[in-house]
Amino acid sequence: MKINMKVLFLEIKNFLLGKTVLIGAISLLLFGFYSFYHGNQVIDRQQKTIAFVPDVQKHHLQEIARHGTGKMVGSTAYYPFFYTTNPASPWEKFSIGQRDVNPFTLKVKMLAIEGQLYDSELTNPLTLLVGNLDASFVFIFLFPLLIIAFTYNVLSEEQENGVWKIVRTTSDSIGAAIAGKLLVRLAIILTTTLLVFLTAVVALQLPVSAPTFQLLLVVLLYVLFWFTISVLVIALGKSSSFNATTLVCIWIFLAILFPGVANIAVNNSIPVPEAAETAIRQREGYHAKWDQPKKPTMEKFYAVYPQYRKYAISEDKYSPGWYYAMQFSGDLESANSSEKLFEKLMQRQTLSERIARFNPVIAAQQSLNKVANTDLTSHIRYLQSVKAHHRQIREYFYPFIFEDTPTESINWAGYPAYRPNQYLQEPVRGGMIAILIWAAGSLIAAQILFKRNFIKIKDIQNA
Amino acid sequence: MHFKFITIIARQEWASIFRSKIPLALFSVLLVVSLLATFTGWQYVSKFNHQQKNAHQQVHDQWMSQPNRHPHRVAHYGYMVFREKSPLSFFDFGLDSYVGNSVFLEAHRQNTVNMSEAGFSNGMLRFGELSMAMVLQLLVPLFIIFIGFQTISGLKQNGVLKILLCQKASYLDILIGKTAGLTAVVWALFLPLLLVSLIAGNLLITGEIQGETLLRTLLLTFLYALYFLIITILVVAVSAMSKSSKNALMVLVLIWMLFFIVIPKSAQSLGGSLHEAPGKIAFEQAIEQDVSEQGDSHDPDDPHFASLKANTLKKYGVDSISHLPVNYGALVMQEGENISSNIFNEHFDRLISIYKSQNAVSSVLSFIDPYLAIRNISMNLSGTDFDSFTAFQKQTEKYRFEKTKKLNEIHLTQIKYQNDSKQKVSAKNWQEQPDFAFQPLTINQNLTAGGLSLTALLAWVLAGFGALTYVSSKRAYQL
Repeated sequence: MKINMKVLFLEIKNFLLGKTVLIGAISLLLFGFYSFYHGNQVIDRQQKTIAFVPDVQKHHLQEIARHGTGKMVGSTAYYPFFYTTNPASPWEKFSIGQRDVNPFTLKVKMLAIEGQLYDSELTNPLTLLVGNLDASFVFIFLFPLLIIAFTYNVLSEEQENGVWKIVRTTSDSIGAAIAGKLLVRLAIILTTTLLVFLTAVVALQLPVSAPTFQLLLVVLLYVLFWFTISVLVIALGKSSSFNATTLVCIWIFLAILFPGVANIAVNNSIPVPEAAETAIRQREGYHAKWDQPKKPTMEKFYAVYPQYRKYAISEDKYSPGWYYAMQFSGDLESANSSEKLFEKLMQRQTLSERIARFNPVIAAQQSLNKVANTDLTSHIRYLQSVKAHHRQIREYFYPFIFEDTPTESINWAGYPAYRPNQYLQEPVRGGMIAILIWAAGSLIAAQILFKRNFIKIKDIQNA
Repeated sequence: MHFKFITIIARQEWASIFRSKIPLALFSVLLVVSLLATFTGWQYVSKFNHQQKNAHQQVHDQWMSQPNRHPHRVAHYGYMVFREKSPLSFFDFGLDSYVGNSVFLEAHRQNTVNMSEAGFSNGMLRFGELSMAMVLQLLVPLFIIFIGFQTISGLKQNGVLKILLCQKASYLDILIGKTAGLTAVVWALFLPLLLVSLIAGNLLITGEIQGETLLRTLLLTFLYALYFLIITILVVAVSAMSKSSKNALMVLVLIWMLFFIVIPKSAQSLGGSLHEAPGKIAFEQAIEQDVSEQGDSHDPDDPHFASLKANTLKKYGVDSISHLPVNYGALVMQEGENISSNIFNEHFDRLISIYKSQNAVSSVLSFIDPYLAIRNISMNLSGTDFDSFTAFQKQTEKYRFEKTKKLNEIHLTQIKYQNDSKQKVSAKNWQEQPDFAFQPLTINQNLTAGGLSLTALLAWVLAGFGALTYVSSKRAYQL
């Protein structure tokens, strides 16, 4: 297959001079710019709140300690909140994912933890429903449309206005002519992709490191996939209207209908009644203890913290040690359903990843969210870190509570500091392979169809 | 206008659509998707409500079977309320998946409504949920585009339009006839489907049809009929303005993207930038600030509570709180509750009004984008809108306040100040308290909330016919 350079050059000129390219590329760039602004704005606002937290915490603890003067730690410890934060990774501006839905700061008391983990952030639900116009949206939702607009009439328009017959008779190889035309489009699509991505890197200040390249790779593969789908439809050799209609239908199916059905399937096959159950159990587990003898409650506590056995707990008098042991047993009793909840959420994640193998659009979205650490898994990691922090705090204050230390004689800010989760670079190989396989598959199918519909065609008269 | 011509053209359009295979193929796809959406929606909602009812029953039983307790312990034990989905939510999920499903009501604290489905979902939900409303709002317009884009432009290309215009028909007659024919097809295909699914789904979920639900159903059907009419007019107008069918299709698909993706998203983020809402920490800080300014019940030197003490002592004519006939501790607690609840409500109302101003942007933009109009009004009528959720939040807070207040009254009168924490009262005291029952918004409230969107829909119909008249008057569009 030899591609005539002169024809190729003409094709580039021809294509670039068309209105579609200009309008398409410009509107996509504009959306890109807007999405960068939006991503920056959403994450900056979150970061501002997070930066505000240490001050709030310091001031809060000072107030608590001031109010508690003269009382024992055991009674003051009921009041303070301990803040935790989930700072954004540098890539979250690119793909906000579930970060607007899930809280990025959580405050916990020393009381039973389970009821405190699922406090929601204050947000306008309509804003959540409508979703974010972030960079990942531009690539996942809008780029396919650009690709469709660039390619749907490559051959059909020339067939419709008669140019194709000239091309057929003048070019040595029809295959080369088709390949040339498609390659020109592919080159321009890839250039646009790289251009928008580079602008994203600059505008969102993405670090030039492995995750950024992961993002780029996912985006490139994804764009390639849509290009091959377009080529496949073109290869059917139908009219421009047919191509456009079919491609838009494919887009709607892959980007709207399929995920909609898949989402219902996931929710239906893995329901989470544990969410309500955990909260109910913890509340009952703790409160029932008030009406029961103290010894069994204390024994449960001693089983984990034997070092406090030496402090006497009176059976007929309230004591702070007993109070916190009751709170602790609330958590013990809900631990089972809480674990099950996390497990089920992970199952949901796994199932959606499995579903994503059949849909490159979902695969791309999940991969981008994974790289940005904005998916459900990273939120669960955050919740687990909050749980760990809660334990550290309890363990810091327990000695003072059991020793009956006065509020003013301890350092209220001396508990082990909360360490936010570090960025976790997760492999996105699975998603990328899925996209690649679909792209390769449609390319092969396209080649077969081209041979049948364009190259080996017998009836030249009507071609 | 020749009514006879219009009917002929409309009939002809109807016949020609049913003659070709593509519309029927597309319709069967949509039919399958709608049935699937209705079925899964019904299943999901009934399963979900069942789950919530069970949880509620469990919490209620636990509440009733509490032993004799100190009333303030009961106030801390608190109550949990589980939000159930509205009977029509299977049709339009609206905001349901993005708002919380359970709230813990306790003394001293206003908790958020937690455990939304979106919080337990990975990103897939964000592509949009498959519901009947989504099919009607997003996909039926696309169907109309595909069956109608060449309705006039095709006549131009094959020269039939000129022949028609040479006869008695005016261009407006043709446009209206085409619109009537297309609309009739769309209505015949989708309105019965809509009506039947609404009634069937509702019957399956609630087991009965209430008058109000029926009214909502009829209103929804009527409004969707208007919506389809608007889209059809748009398609006919664009088709009439286009030189070729191909151009018409391109323009219409572009408009679809603009209406369904670009404008809604931009509207919401524009609203967010115009009216910035406080985050949770800022919101709580502001409340804490106001509460400590008004009176801090934990601060022994607080002036507000000092004067409360002085006044109470004076009222009962005693010199120390231990001589009061009522429990002073309970009095202080209720005063603290009054202060914090008032301040919370004030801040909460402000927050809600900020959200409402954010959402108003999309209501105003309904005049540019009919999808926003139908989206909003459909959520309103299905009880899955912003106001329904806000009503739930406000009602639970009211319930929390009243429950706590009653427990404080028991504390005030039945528990002696001396040795306060050692005493208990009979469980009967709180067993008599009423259970929480959500009062859904009435149809009138829903329609008022959707007033702007409703007006926008009607304005679109008028503007649509105006546009057809305008297009028909231009000679350029006849060629």
